[in-house]
Amino acid sequence: MKKTMLDKAVRKESRKLKRLKKAQKIQKRVAARSSAKRSTKKRGAGCKVLKVFGKIFALLAALYAALFAVFFFDLDGKLMYYVVEPFLVKHYDKMDRKNPLDMPYEIKK
Amino acid sequence: MKLPDIKLPKPSDLTGKLKAFAGLFPDPRDVKLPKNAAEAKKAAHDFWYGKPHGERRLGDLYLDKTGLYKHREWRGVKDTFYYFHMIWLYNYANMVMDIMKFGDPITFAKGLWRYRWMGQTYLPVLHWFDRGLEGLRGEALRASAWHYRAMTCVTINQFMNMFEADGNLRNGAHNDAWHHAMAHKETVWGGIFYPWADKYKHIPLEMIPYFVTCHVNNHTVLNYIDAAQSIGLPGDPCPMCQAEAGLFVLDDMPDFAPFMVSSNEACDGSVASTAIQDWFFKGPLFAMPQPMQFDDPLVQEHCANEIRECWKFIEEQTGAPFNLQLLNENLEKQNELQRFEWEKWDVAAKTNHYPINGVAQALYRIYQSQYGEHFIWHDTDKKVSKILTKCVEKKIDTFPKTRHRVIAWSCAPLYYSNWCTWAYNCWGLNTIINMDSLMFDMTIRTDNLDNTVMDMARYHEWAPMRRMAVGGMHHIFELWENMERFNCDMVMMYDQLQCKGMQGVVGLFEDEFRKRNIHAIWMPHALPDKRTVSRGEIRRIINDYMSTVMKEEPLDPSLLEFDDDMSW
Repeated sequence: MKKTMLDKAVRKESRKLKRLKKAQKIQKRVAARSSAKRSTKKRGAGCKVLKVFGKIFALLAALYAALFAVFFFDLDGKLMYYVVEPFLVKHYDKMDRKNPLDMPYEIKK
Repeated sequence: MKLPDIKLPKPSDLTGKLKAFAGLFPDPRDVKLPKNAAEAKKAAHDFWYGKPHGERRLGDLYLDKTGLYKHREWRGVKDTFYYFHMIWLYNYANMVMDIMKFGDPITFAKGLWRYRWMGQTYLPVLHWFDRGLEGLRGEALRASAWHYRAMTCVTINQFMNMFEADGNLRNGAHNDAWHHAMAHKETVWGGIFYPWADKYKHIPLEMIPYFVTCHVNNHTVLNYIDAAQSIGLPGDPCPMCQAEAGLFVLDDMPDFAPFMVSSNEACDGSVASTAIQDWFFKGPLFAMPQPMQFDDPLVQEHCANEIRECWKFIEEQTGAPFNLQLLNENLEKQNELQRFEWEKWDVAAKTNHYPINGVAQALYRIYQSQYGEHFIWHDTDKKVSKILTKCVEKKIDTFPKTRHRVIAWSCAPLYYSNWCTWAYNCWGLNTIINMDSLMFDMTIRTDNLDNTVMDMARYHEWAPMRRMAVGGMHHIFELWENMERFNCDMVMMYDQLQCKGMQGVVGLFEDEFRKRNIHAIWMPHALPDKRTVSRGEIRRIINDYMSTVMKEEPLDPSLLEFDDDMSW
């Protein structure tokens, strides 16, 4: 009877130990995971900055290439000649203007 | 219910339009791939350094009639990117900066919407750079471009000053800027107004609406010439005077100042244009004509008195006193510009290291000497001085294909001021100097007011078209000594067909050319009006002389004949 009581107590203790060990293991795993998360977070922030710089660089490069294309193919000249100038000329031709001949010609005092 | 008719473009129209659009660009089929290693090496060399003069075929770059480029010139990696960064981008950016510096974008937009000469001319300004700087390389490209940049800056300054003060943009209301502006005819030297430079802005009436527009976009001026004739004025006097009067007739002159100082434009044919301006200009006018016989000491005295009278008039109109210190300070600054100009002339005359091409030299000089003191001239001269020193120290042959050193005499065609760029590229005719550059060949004494006024009178008398065009035989024949001074072997003799003064001396010049055995090409033109003698006609005359009399072959045959009648 005593033996069985003792066995029971030992088994109980060993179960407790096992549970403790499990809990420790879990704690370790959680700690490891969170530290991993932290490090990946750090790495992610660096990547994001790089990505933003990359995007800005790509945008500037595209803008530079576009400007060079405008320059090289005289697109500014063509736009002015075929679009802007005719549009403005139409506007100036339609404008109401004073007739200066209506002004009397007299010697100013 | 009837549906509205929708007009769809016909497929043939679309193809036509697409073809026309594609025609604005270089044809890829024209690209020749290298066939062997030697050709590949040559292509790589041309890509890196640009094609040598003679292989460039600049005429192939033009679109027919318009003068636009299929593509801008490839000048080698270094010069193409210099042009892209330091000329094209730099000037577009600085045009915006200048507008902000001298005014604000809203006033600029209002002025652009109101005035034809503004909208039609100043937007395509970079094309004016292109035409003047075609074919240039290295230091010549850099120095000439700085001259263009300075002229653009002063131009923006002037029209922004006009718009800031303009009553037309403010429903006739006159603001403080209007009360602090002084208008004057473009041939009245800006130096007359130096004593009020701290508080008042002097703005030439026609320098921007007329003179500069002819160079940048010569379509604009035709409206004003026709307007003057439309009120019954004869078409045969100088078209410059017609255009200047036409600005008022078309109601296209800003109302920016309460009074004006006028002259006879140094050409007595234009007295009538001042009469018309006086009619249409609302405020009081002071007339200060440049005398015809200016070598006479009594005339000199008379002219000095007129300047003093003009100062009194300005004092009365502004209520601000004459400031001698300000006058002397500004004159000294202008003298500095003149001294550097002499340095430039010295290099141009004695060496082949002068890095400024004919059109940049001519326009910058006349603009600077006529408008007067401005900070940008000093900035530009500093930059050009560095380039000039480098060219002389390193003995750089800036225009290596020069066959003839040319002096250009009399008044130039404003619609084709870049003819000298074409003439160098096509025939190796290098325009070293021109009459307009040499007019104000003096500094002004500032030791006492009497000397200052006498020198200012002399400067005023030596106005454009007076000193060496219609200023008497002695002065017009200064050509011979200047030919010698600048070591020139050829004359480009401008023949302004509507200038009665110059028409009278054609025969005398021809006699002298024969007697002195000088090669001279007569270039007929009608100053701002391209309809009388086209640019193509001017080129044909030069081509004929070079091939039949000089028996020379063109450096670039693609430039011999092309149609740019509709070009800016």
